[in-house]
Amino acid sequence: MSDGRRYFDEIEVGEEYESPGRTVTESDIVLFAGISGDFNVLHTDAEFMKQSVFGERIAHGLLGLAIQAGLFTRATQPWATLALEGLRWKFKAPVKIGDTVRLRARVTAKRESSKPDRGLITVERRLVNQRDEVVQEGETDLVVERRSS
Amino acid sequence: MTPAARTYFEDVEVGREQRTPAITLTEMHVTLYRGLTSDGAVDPTMVPELLPVCLSTGLGWRVPRPPLVVLAFMGLDWQILRPLAVGDTIYSRSKTAVKRTLREAGIIVDEHEIVDQRGEVVQRGRFTFLVAKRPA
Repeated sequence: MSDGRRYFDEIEVGEEYESPGRTVTESDIVLFAGISGDFNVLHTDAEFMKQSVFGERIAHGLLGLAIQAGLFTRATQPWATLALEGLRWKFKAPVKIGDTVRLRARVTAKRESSKPDRGLITVERRLVNQRDEVVQEGETDLVVERRSS
Repeated sequence: MTPAARTYFEDVEVGREQRTPAITLTEMHVTLYRGLTSDGAVDPTMVPELLPVCLSTGLGWRVPRPPLVVLAFMGLDWQILRPLAVGDTIYSRSKTAVKRTLREAGIIVDEHEIVDQRGEVVQRGRFTFLVAKRPA
């Protein structure tokens, strides 16, 4: 019986997804600073940042990374994911207050695991803003359950 | 008035290790993080994989060294070795592996590990930062 989740066996290399958009707000940045404890002036001092190359506060890079992880769950039918195992990630451009980001993701590889109940799926991801500029990109390795036979 | 001390590119020594204070992972961390990002498993006792690395950047400000003047976080290569649960306590340790000078700034690559209360490395990888040079 199906539980609505997709398993390792069903997910195919080449599948592509696009998430809904998400507008990054000042509240997101303030909350992320509070949770993480990263109060770097880049994210918290509006006056200082007026003088910087960015001209204003920017979102924490890791906030963008965390937001894209959430967007992935909204981009496609849920996967039977057991864990995120690794990532290779680049922060390419700043995300500013009011920017709207969305995730474009593509399955690029599948690998068997030493454990028979799971496999490894690599997903290439690009986080783009409202001007279609790539602000972050990279690859993530997800451990996904196999359907029990 | 003395300006706050800062660590510039020139001040960073390759190989010097830093260890942060520790922080206990609570259900509140998980709830706030999930509410902010919509990332994370349904089980509220498990810690979303990316939350510890977010917390470790905050812990990085709580070390004796004056704050590094980071101009941009450029990237990370990261491995999640073991799951973490609410109630676990983590700290991080890091060591600069590479320094590369550019014309107006410098690149620093830090090897970074997150360690739990049992002394086991639970996550590890490399952070790359663009760091300001000391103003002339």
